[in-house]
Amino acid sequence: MTEVGELTFSRIHEAGPELLFDCMTRPEHLTHFWGPAGTTTPLDGIVVDLRPGGAFETTIVGGDGGTHTMRAVYAEIDRPRRLVWIEPGVEGGMRTEITFVDLGDGRTEVVTHQTNVPAAFLAAQARAGFATSLDRFDAYLADLTRDR
Amino acid sequence: MAVVTDELSLVFAALADPTRRAILERLAEGEATVHQLAEPFAMTQQAVSKHLKVLENARLISRGRAAQSRPCALEPERLAEAVGWIERHRQVWAQRHDRLAAHLQRLQGGAA
Repeated sequence: MTEVGELTFSRIHEAGPELLFDCMTRPEHLTHFWGPAGTTTPLDGIVVDLRPGGAFETTIVGGDGGTHTMRAVYAEIDRPRRLVWIEPGVEGGMRTEITFVDLGDGRTEVVTHQTNVPAAFLAAQARAGFATSLDRFDAYLADLTRDR
Repeated sequence: MAVVTDELSLVFAALADPTRRAILERLAEGEATVHQLAEPFAMTQQAVSKHLKVLENARLISRGRAAQSRPCALEPERLAEAVGWIERHRQVWAQRHDRLAAHLQRLQGGAA
């Protein structure tokens, strides 16, 4: 479900959860797929200190040579089930949680949940507000963008 | 970038309240006065005015200056920006997983 200021993205891959977890946490894997098409993510620009509080940094190099660096800190590490990191400097704080769901047939569903957490979001009442009538609002947002 | 981001935070904070979302849904149908907005929500005009101020600060709505009733109108561009935030992040992950799938294929079968 798409929530306001939140993002859930899910994809099923033809591999086990251990391999997928490793792909998301080992520089020698990340370098092959981390950046969008047309970009590279050089090995020497990837920092993975896989422990709570450890650094997770990537530098993506665009086709024009421009770079984009992500600086995050790992919050939770539970191989091969869950991975959480936080980017303190992005849009008031962004939390990314990846869940690896073993489908039992050699496939794994990788669910990414991203939350933009500005101060207002952390207020309990704001959180409660999200729980209600969001489906209706999603439909509304969808209509609105379709019209444009 | 920082300015844009702060404004987006205002938008998301404004959208976090179900009553304000309902007000926006009503305004999507057309302009309305505070009086007209207060009716279906069983709220005082004062309470509605508070919500409208938050929406106006986030520039999700604008209020007429001419008429005394100052009718409220939706500013769809701002909502589109919020939707745009979600879309941008979705695209990043979609492309990442496309490339991850290709990487897995190379790892597992080479030419598969």
